[in-house]
Parts: sequence; C-alpha cells; structure tokens
Amino acid sequence: MFLKRYIPIGIVAFFGSLTLFGWFIENKSVESFINDDATQWYDIIASFAIFLGALNLLKLQFLKVVKRKQGWQYSVVAITSFFFAFTIGFFMKGAFFVGEDVYFTQKAAEQAVLVSGSSESVIPVEWGAHISAEGGLFKWMFDSIFTPLSATMFALLAFYVASASYRAFRARNFEATLLLLAGIIIMLGRVPVGSLITPWMVMYLLVFVGTIFMSTYFRDRKLIFGSFVLGLLGVTALGINMDWNPTQPAIFFLPSLQEWIYTVPNLAGARAIMIGIGLGIIVTSLRYIFGLEKSYIGDQ
Amino acid sequence: MNNKQIQTYSLGFLGITLFTFALTQLPDSIHIFQSDRAVMFALLLTIIMVMLNEVKQARISSDSIFLRTIPGLKAVEEAVGRSTEMGRPILYVPGIMDMNEVETVAGVIILGHVAQMTAQYETSLDVPVARSIVMQAARESCKEAYLTQGRPEMFNEDMVHYITDDQFAYAAGVNGIMQRDKPAACMYMGKFYAESLLFAETGNSIGAIQIAGTASQAQIPFFVTACDYTLMGEEYFAASAYLSRKPELIAGVKTQDMVKLMLISFIGVALLSRALSDLGLTSFNLLTWLGL
Amino acid sequence: MKFLEDMILKFGSVDRRFIFLLIGLAVFIPLLRPIDLPIRTTPTTERVYNAIDAIPANSKVLMSFDYGPSTKPEIHPMTLGVMRQLLRKDHQIYITCLWPDGLYMALDALEEINKEFDLVEYEDYVLLGFRPGNEAIVKGLASDLRKVYTVDSKGTMLADIPMMDGVNNLKDFQFIFTGSAGYPGTFEWVQYGGDPTGVPLSSGTTSIQVNEVMPYVQSGQVRGILAGMPGAAEYEKLIGTPGIAIQGMAAQSFAHLVIVLFIVLGNLAYFITERRERKY
Repeated sequence: MFLKRYIPIGIVAFFGSLTLFGWFIENKSVESFINDDATQWYDIIASFAIFLGALNLLKLQFLKVVKRKQGWQYSVVAITSFFFAFTIGFFMKGAFFVGEDVYFTQKAAEQAVLVSGSSESVIPVEWGAHISAEGGLFKWMFDSIFTPLSATMFALLAFYVASASYRAFRARNFEATLLLLAGIIIMLGRVPVGSLITPWMVMYLLVFVGTIFMSTYFRDRKLIFGSFVLGLLGVTALGINMDWNPTQPAIFFLPSLQEWIYTVPNLAGARAIMIGIGLGIIVTSLRYIFGLEKSYIGDQ
Repeated sequence: MNNKQIQTYSLGFLGITLFTFALTQLPDSIHIFQSDRAVMFALLLTIIMVMLNEVKQARISSDSIFLRTIPGLKAVEEAVGRSTEMGRPILYVPGIMDMNEVETVAGVIILGHVAQMTAQYETSLDVPVARSIVMQAARESCKEAYLTQGRPEMFNEDMVHYITDDQFAYAAGVNGIMQRDKPAACMYMGKFYAESLLFAETGNSIGAIQIAGTASQAQIPFFVTACDYTLMGEEYFAASAYLSRKPELIAGVKTQDMVKLMLISFIGVALLSRALSDLGLTSFNLLTWLGL
Repeated sequence: MKFLEDMILKFGSVDRRFIFLLIGLAVFIPLLRPIDLPIRTTPTTERVYNAIDAIPANSKVLMSFDYGPSTKPEIHPMTLGVMRQLLRKDHQIYITCLWPDGLYMALDALEEINKEFDLVEYEDYVLLGFRPGNEAIVKGLASDLRKVYTVDSKGTMLADIPMMDGVNNLKDFQFIFTGSAGYPGTFEWVQYGGDPTGVPLSSGTTSIQVNEVMPYVQSGQVRGILAGMPGAAEYEKLIGTPGIAIQGMAAQSFAHLVIVLFIVLGNLAYFITERRERKY
C-alpha cells in the first residue's frame, strides 16, 4: 500500500514542486535540472518504455494469427512490417557507396564493382548516418512507404472536412447561422477565388437573399418587389460612384472580411479559450502536485 | 462569499505580497529569488492559497458546491448504457500524447470513471493507446476501477493495448478498430491533433454515439462539428470533479472560476489604467509598474 | 418550382461518397490542368518576408524543420521559399529538427535548393540533424548548443566545422525560422527560444494551427506567420519564385468552392424540408 500509493504521490509532489517553484529560483543547478535534465529524464524513460508497447503490440498480433481470428492476414502484414523496419534500422546499414552509386547490400555493391570492372572500393555508410543516407535502404523505406502512407491519411482530412461541413453547417438557429456564414467567408476568403468575387457581387447577392428573407415575413408583393428594386438600384448607384472598385467596400470584400474575422473576433475568442485552458491546466496540475487527485495511479 | 472568507483571502493576499516583497529584498549573498518574476510568483501563491482554502471549506462544509450540468458528461452513462443494450463495445481514446501532458493525465482519470461504469454494466471496453507509459497508467486506472466495482475477473490487461507512436498510423489503427468492431460508443478524451476529425468522422459513419473532450484549441471545432457531445477546454478539466463528485475536486473547479474572476477584474483595472495613461490623464500605468 | 425543390432536396441528402468524389475531382483536375489565379498577399505573410529581408547581411540563421511527410505539401514550400530568400542574401543556414521526420524533410529541401544554388556544405549550411527531447532541445540550444549537438547529422564533430565557430547558443543567431506542424514546434520555439533570448523569430504553420499562434503574432513575439498553403503561395509570390504552393492554390480554391456549394445546397434542402413540415 505504502509503495503503491504514497511513494508515487510523494515523487509527483516533490518533482512537481521543484519544477514549478524552481522557475523562480536563481540557481544554476536548479535551472539546469528544470531546463535540461527533467525533460530528458522523462524522454529516456519514455524511450525505454517503448519496449513495453512494442511487446504488447507483437503479442496481440501473434495471438490473432495463431488463433486465426478475423483479419489475421493483416496481423501478418503488421508483424512483418514491424520486423522489417526494426531490422533495417538496427541491423542493416543499407547503404554501400561505390563512387556516386548507392547499393542496399554489400554483396550488391561488390557485384556492381565486378560487373563494371572499376577500381572503386565499396564504402559502407557509418552507423547513425545510415538512416538518412541518400539512396540507402532506410531512406528508401521512408520515401517509398512511410511518406505516401502518412500523406494519404492526412489527405483523408480533405474529404472528411467536406462531409463534416456538409452535415453540420445547418442554419438551425442564430449561433449556427453565424458559424455557417463565418465558415463560408473564411473558406472563400482564404483562397485566390475569394479575390475574384468582387464586393459588388456579394452586395447583389445580399440584396437577393434579403428579399427572399423579407418574403417569409411580408406578404405584400409590391413592398417586396419595391425593396428588391431599391436594393439593386442602391448597389448599382454606389458601384458607379466608386467606379466599381474591385476591393471596396472592404466590408463586402471576402479576403478583407476574412482577415478581420481572423484577427479580431476569432483572436479574441482564441485568447479567451487559451486563458481558460491555461487556468484549467494550472489548477489541474496543482491538484496532482498536492495529491488531491490520485486517480492516475489507480487510486479511486 | 461570506465575511470570514473575504477576511481570509484579504489576509492571505497581504501575506503573499509581503512575502514576495521580502524575497525580492534579500541581500545579495543569499539572493536566490528571480525578482523579475515576482508578480508571477505572487499570482501562483494566490492561486494555491485560494485552492487550498476552497478544498478545506469543501471538506468541512455540509453544503455542496454548485456545478452546472455538463451535457457531455451526463451523456457518458447514457453512452455506456447504450453500448450494453446493443451488446457492442465502448471505444475510449485517451489522446495521442504522453503522460507529460496534463490533458492525457485528465483523460486517464476520466477513463477510470468510464471503466467503473463498464464494470458495473458488464460492457466491454477497448482502449487503444499511442504511448507505452499511457498504456501502463491506463491499465492501472482500469484495473483499479474494476477492483473497486468488485469485478476483477472482468478486467483483462489487453483491453488497453498499444498501437503505435506515429500520429497517422495510430489514426489508421483506431479507424480500423472502429470499422471492424463497430463500437456503440466512442469517447475521445485527451490531447489530439489532426487525427481528431479522422476519428470523429469514422465514428459518425458507423453510427456510434461520440463524446469528445479536449483542451486542444484547434481540434475543438472538429469535435463540435462531428461529435454528439464535446467538452471544451475547462469543461474537460472539470470532468473528473463532475464524475467523482468529490468535494475537494469540485473545490478545484471553483478555484478556477474564482481565479478567472480575479483575472477579469485585473484586466478591467489594467485596461482602465492604460486608457487613462494613454489619454494623458495620469502618468501611472499599472502594467508598466508591475513589469508586465 | 416543386421540381426544383425536389432536386435540391435530393442534393440535401446525398451520399457522402458522392461528395468525396466531387472533392477528389475538384482537387485532381486543376492539378492536371493548372489554372493561374491571382495571389493576394496578406499582412502576416508580408511581415515574415520583411523580417527576413531586414536581417543584416551575412548573418547566421537557424531553421528548424518540425514537420513530417503528412504536412509536407503545406510547409515544405515555405521552408524552400525561406531558404531561397536567405541564400540570395548569402546568409548561412543552420538546420535543426525537433521531429525525426524533419531530418528527411531537410534533406529533401537541401536537394531541391541545391539545384538552384549549388550549395557547399559547411560553407552555406550545416545540417545539425534531429535530437530527441522536444522542448528540452530548444532550452538546450538557448543555453548551450554544444551540449545538445556534439556532431552534425553526418557524424562530423562541430569543433571541426569552421561554420560553427562562435556559435554556442541561440543568441549567436540573428534569426530563427521554424516550419512547424504541431508539437514540438512554434510554441516551444517562442516560449523557450525566441522570447527568452530576444532573437527574432518567424514561423510557418499548417492552416489549422494559425488560430493558436495568432496571439503571439499580434504581440510581436512571432514576426508574422505563413498560414498554411495560402501563406506559402503568398510567400512564393513575394520572393518571385512560383512553386508547388501557387500551383496547389487552384486545387484548394475549387475544393473550397465545392464544399461551399454543398453547404448552400444542404441548407436550402433543410429550409425546404422545414417549410414543408410546417405546412403539414
């Protein structure tokens, strides 16, 4: 009980307090511990802990293969990929230079020398530099396998953003409408197409939309038609007066409006959320340091 | 706030100010305090004072502290119930970062509460993780939860399992789990980056009820758009207090609110001071005087 | 009218795979048949350009590659653009990586830039490489670079590299630029690098991160920001070297248009449905 409960809490309290209050102390050893050692200790522990995760992964995948569970073939791929990457990272240099040319294995390099009849010697890359050697096996794996897979997963976001926006951006109430309008303005304003949409097109569109909106509240067709024509004439008159300036009035020019939304209301909201989150992190951290919250060590 | 509390806080704040001032006046031979950080030090001590006092009050007082309803947290039990009825598992993702992030620790704590519910309802729980240390901590949390509910035989170490450290490989792994196992409820509680929408959209496509909680500002909009319930920022940090109903934890939430009130007041006063200074009505600028 | 309403209702409940298909075409077609669209620069991008332009001649600049292959399309054009601008003014570039993938990004960037500038290693640039430790690395660089790096990415001792003479910590650099896709990245460089040392810092980030970084830009702690691919395209325009960012803007524009179109159709369908339900 003592080992499992009080020692971890004591460790958290000691190191938490040291790191927190150490920032206010002017002492080389303390500063060095906080700035360098503390985070490096953590990284060392996390790096060794990877073995636990890797073993767990292998265990589950092997069990799936052995028990022939559904999708066991993918587990074979997972295990093979794991050992492939492990082997070429730790046990194979994978880059043997013959002049400018690079070969994955020493045998292939020697074969190439034999075939070409050149007097060049085979120079293996140094351990450590083998993971970044151009033309080497590890770099080939990174460029040919890892990069396309990562890029593909990230590219999925483009499709998912479209389907999520389509599903979620509905003008159900005032706040949802505001979100919808801001989203459209930002999406169009951020890209070059937004600059092609002149403020005058936006103003005509607003007159059109305004008339439709009016028609839901007023039945008088003359009033609606009159407002519509008045709106069109007003925009046209203003346009003629301003020589149809492609970027003015700025309030209807999407890129300018987008910049304003980004730098004023959005920034204000972002700052407020950041302050709130910061406070949440401070108080939560203090709860851990003072031992008020112990659930993370399993103490309910 | 009653008179006694106001008195306590006023005396406390006075004491903190004097103590900080005293530290800045230490002779050079024993001067170990960074005087340019004095304001931050005083603020930190004030937060600690408020928190400890509120915790003390919460422990001795019979009145419960009001905590507003957070729909997302109310829905957790609903989600567990739904999974039990449908006979499908619950997927819990504690973020993609390590235990050095406060959000991840908060996620593991909430996992403990969810595990208590799954133990109670006998629902299967799947927790794929992206960090080995998180795996160990999450296992401890789940094990303790099942033990507390008197269902140790239901706990299986492999319910918390490691996928990979890499962000998108982890996202691919979790998406695969969602597509194959079709969990009835998906909970995302922790620190997320770009993979948040990948999880949320895939969860949506399988018809799962989704509850997300994060303090990652950039990912909140994605979760709000695609999930049924989202705990934003401070709500997420209050989740542990909300679910456990422990007075000392709720006192922590109250501390947050009090400190926020203090900050708002300070911003107002600083704004006024700066305005008067800029208008030339006074030469005193609070922010300059405090060295901020 | 009813026919039109029914058509809109059909679009309002379209299968999401149809949306995926249209998005795919909207991105793919402009990449095959490039379309020139006018690029309008924004103040935040101009600030980055001006900040780099203002660096005194023959300075030492630290560039940090803190992104991976998934965010390469957004951030790589930024780092290429910055390297071009720096090399045109004969600044020396020191490259660090807080992400392991960043090393490969740096190697790709150097290979690309080498086609234009004929770079000489240890005269024009030093590739210090990746070190694990996240913000500890930034803190270490701020206090003592030699504690963090004893050798460069090829294993050459820093003491044997003339370009490293007199470079002992971040204060020995005249500018820092980070291409950042997440953690560790811009925030760590601001909090532990630029702010404590006073070295001017700029950053290029993914579009989604810009929101979080903007407070630092407004306070001047970060000298402008390159915001995603649009920011990269604006930067390419400013340096006068069009690249993949400008090429990609047409694809992004059409993708955004398709999304907006579907949002509008979805909302029209929603209003029509509401109106019909109210009638009955």
